[in-house]
Amino acid sequence: MIVVWIILGIVVFVLLWVIITFNLLVSLRNQVHNAWKQIDVQLKRRHDLIPNLVSTVKGAMEFEQDTLEKVINARAKAVSAVGTQKKASAENMLTQALGRLFAVMENYPDLKTNQNIMQLQEELTSTENRIGFARQLYNDLVANYRTKQEIFPNNVIVSLFAGFQKEEYFEAEESDRAVPKADISIRPE
Amino acid sequence: MPLTFIDIEKQKNWRIGILFVFLILMYFLTSAGLLFSFFQMIPLRTHFGKTLLFSAERLFLLFFFSTAVASVHFYFSAYDTVRYIRKNISATDPDPEDGIHKQLMNIMEEIHVVTGNRVRMQCVVIPSLAMNALSAIDMRGNALIAITEGLLSRLSRDQIEAVMAHEAHHIISGDCLESTVASSLFGVPASLVEKVQTFSEGRAYLSPAFIVTLVLLKLSQFLNMFISRQREYRADAGAVRMTRNPLALAEVLHILWRNWRGSGFIGSGLENLCIVNPKISSLDESEGWLANLLSTHPPIHKRISFLLSMAHARLSDLETKNKTAAIPAPSEQNKDRYFALDHKYQWQGPYTLAELALLPWFAALTWISTGGTSMQKASDMPVLNDIFMKRIAQEGTAQTSHPCPVCHHPLLKRSVEKTRVMQCKFCGGTLVHHNRVFRIIARGEDGYSERIRTLSKITLKKNQLKKITRSVKGSEQNIPLLSCPQCKNKMTRAFYSLVYLIELDRCSWCRVTWFDRDELKMLQCMIHTKMASERLF
Repeated sequence: MIVVWIILGIVVFVLLWVIITFNLLVSLRNQVHNAWKQIDVQLKRRHDLIPNLVSTVKGAMEFEQDTLEKVINARAKAVSAVGTQKKASAENMLTQALGRLFAVMENYPDLKTNQNIMQLQEELTSTENRIGFARQLYNDLVANYRTKQEIFPNNVIVSLFAGFQKEEYFEAEESDRAVPKADISIRPE
Repeated sequence: MPLTFIDIEKQKNWRIGILFVFLILMYFLTSAGLLFSFFQMIPLRTHFGKTLLFSAERLFLLFFFSTAVASVHFYFSAYDTVRYIRKNISATDPDPEDGIHKQLMNIMEEIHVVTGNRVRMQCVVIPSLAMNALSAIDMRGNALIAITEGLLSRLSRDQIEAVMAHEAHHIISGDCLESTVASSLFGVPASLVEKVQTFSEGRAYLSPAFIVTLVLLKLSQFLNMFISRQREYRADAGAVRMTRNPLALAEVLHILWRNWRGSGFIGSGLENLCIVNPKISSLDESEGWLANLLSTHPPIHKRISFLLSMAHARLSDLETKNKTAAIPAPSEQNKDRYFALDHKYQWQGPYTLAELALLPWFAALTWISTGGTSMQKASDMPVLNDIFMKRIAQEGTAQTSHPCPVCHHPLLKRSVEKTRVMQCKFCGGTLVHHNRVFRIIARGEDGYSERIRTLSKITLKKNQLKKITRSVKGSEQNIPLLSCPQCKNKMTRAFYSLVYLIELDRCSWCRVTWFDRDELKMLQCMIHTKMASERLF
């Protein structure tokens, strides 16, 4: 009789463990998906801002049509990209194209006095940061999810149930790893 | 983020619980003490002839009473604190029309993204030149991050982001709740009393308000012993985890180290909520068990060194970078028929009409000579006046329906220090809403030319003399009062303050201030260079 109870206890324990681990993995998977959607929201925001920026600076930067076209093309590719890896690569291209545009804009002092452009630039900077932060959150959650999937004995549950595929990281580009420089200069008093 | 919601809730419950138990104990002991004194005076005797001071029933009643009072106190201190703190520091919502405030709002949204939108945090601005920031959250879940105009104006985007991330980490990790509750029990009432009653007059230490404040502050300081100074290290680490930029936060702390952090402005009971202690205290900068027990903030130099080691940088790198931006020299132009008096009060020229129109300092009130001894203001010469009329016509939508109170040309919408104002392109005057004056003064992005510095000194001396003459001879207003461009009522004329003697025209109905040409810049220069404190005579 005791053996039956012990076996029953082990079965209940295993069952409980399976339920808890399954629910944990589902919860983590949903967090990862939600974080991915958050990146999407920010990317959409960037895609919407770019046409405004291009049309505003077009007049003042007529000799830089090539740079502007690269931004427009990169945006078009990013909008139509499907899948995590393709999307990440297209968005990285767009980031680079925008970086070049901002660098070229430095050569046009008139643009700095234009309030609309300054506002658009601030909005784009903010959007870039939000994308970066959303990506950071996504990668943190993916790392957590992957760890939970791969550790023993959770990997047994993962192999038993379908739907717990490995999520991909949103890869950072090399240019993002530049060494920062210190600046503590207070604005003139 | 390393902490889960369950961890946060657990921490919140036991630490807040301790504070509540402390409150019950305090009321219990106080009421027991009062009761004891009362019975000492009027001894009640039972039929056995013994004094029953603390019978079991009486102790139970005392405990019940203390718990009830402590619960009421706790409820009002912990459930709506954020509103009181906001009122106490006179914080306002950021202005979306203001460039720097808009940036702050964007940064707040970025912080929400990086924290996964766990807690919605309200971002507010404190109208003060001090440099500090604080966070608070109450039991209702209202979270607040406040930053002073002074800090906002002097930091770069990355640095502001680091400050906001630091404050957001306090809120997300839950340690902010315990410090907010600890402050709100005694500190917030103390700073409210402090705000209402100023203790600057003689024998102020005898006033009841002073005694109340002192008692509350002592109790608040006692509760601060529960607050670990380690939380600041954790928030620094959390901010770095969010922004991945330890250098920006190190730069901020280095800047805060050497500037006014709001001592005297931020209430004494709110110190533990700030990123750095507003009061400079040797205890904060020291280590050891006593400092750990009594101080709520760790030594700034230690915080900086931790951050610098994360960034693989050295303190000397930060110190050598501390230089002010060069002030651009006014540009010089040349040639042909018209001579114009420049900012340095020197004749420049001769210029052709086209060249004159392109001069950056050429304005309607610039003195013009055609070569002889006579001279006129540019706006009085029809040929030159046309240039200004064309300039105004080109402004299109920037034009407003409000006329300049000095020269009656339409005022134009302009941005000064990223703040929306109305300016006259003819006379160079500026109309600023009262709320925005402080903001513009706090910023000083464009620097000051030598001309503005000299002009400020001269104006200050002249107005000091004027003030003395007025106090001796009485008021003598020869210049007619200006009409407000918005409501047309007469504006009042007074000095900006008793220290910064710039005469300004204000309309109390529309809450606007009129600055004549260069006055806004001069005021900014006086305040930033602390010109008023110099000996002028």
